[in-house]
Amino acid sequence: MLSQKLRLQQWRSTAKNVADRALIVAKFLCFLHIADTYLCAPTLVHGPSMLPTLNMRGDVVLTERVSHRIGNVGVGDVVLVVSPENPRKMITKRVKAREGDRVSVFGDGIWGDVSRSFVVPKGHVWVQGDNPYQSRDSRIFGPVPYGLIKGRVFLRELGIHT
Amino acid sequence: MGPSNFQLWGSFAKEAMDASMLVVNFFCFLQVTRTYIFNAASVSGPSMLPTFSLSGEIVLVDRISLRLGKISRGDIVLVRSPENPRKVITKRLIGIEGDRMTFAVDPRRVGDDRKTVTVPKGHVWVQGDNVYESRDSRTFGAVPYALLQGRVFWRVWPLEDFGAL
Repeated sequence: MLSQKLRLQQWRSTAKNVADRALIVAKFLCFLHIADTYLCAPTLVHGPSMLPTLNMRGDVVLTERVSHRIGNVGVGDVVLVVSPENPRKMITKRVKAREGDRVSVFGDGIWGDVSRSFVVPKGHVWVQGDNPYQSRDSRIFGPVPYGLIKGRVFLRELGIHT
Repeated sequence: MGPSNFQLWGSFAKEAMDASMLVVNFFCFLQVTRTYIFNAASVSGPSMLPTFSLSGEIVLVDRISLRLGKISRGDIVLVRSPENPRKVITKRLIGIEGDRMTFAVDPRRVGDDRKTVTVPKGHVWVQGDNVYESRDSRTFGAVPYALLQGRVFWRVWPLEDFGAL
């Protein structure tokens, strides 16, 4: 009888320990998520479309999540964008024009074979990869709504290349 | 001799720290829940009459089906407006990628010409229930799937209409 009571007590205290630790882990993950989404996060980017600025095999960059929420993304910024063709894919491109700017496209993509010039519509930006020969960007899928921008790249972490 | 001023301030500061840590923790949990599980939102405006009244309603928005890709035609969705990224609008999802959408360019004019558009890959077509007073995909085109912010599934206020949507 006594040993049963003792065992129950032991279970209770173990369970309490586990719950406390799980809570600490949960709190830490919450903080991490908040920092990741609203402040700044390390991101691995790869692919040929931003050569020579970014490596093809992979670069770890720091992206900040503040500028795009306060509308501070400007021409020349390298941004992380959700691909309008595939919502599960994040792509890295450079902003070339903002709403109201005039853009010229030559042949290719959805514009057919003629060179066209038009104005970037309200609420959209025009993005292009630094390597125009190997980049699917606004020349192919058109201007991108500003709401698809998820962060601005501001630092490349050094020493990752082996 | 009672506790010194310094000790009083010290204990006060500790209590304040504990209280603010509690508040911060609470907000973190709330934010994570709102991002991944469900969210509450207030919808207003004429574009979704008669489903939603003009004066505004409070609804619950489901974020899980968005991430699992389980949003289907007929769902009421919250969309970040492609015309103004600071605005989130409420519309009904009418078409998914690959659908051919036919619509009247101006529903107020009788016998007006119709347009047919194919929804491109990765995009959806949204329309307000009140086609006469709604700026939607008929105006700004198909919307990239990633601009969707959630699926409206429950009405909380006004209380007479409490229930599933």
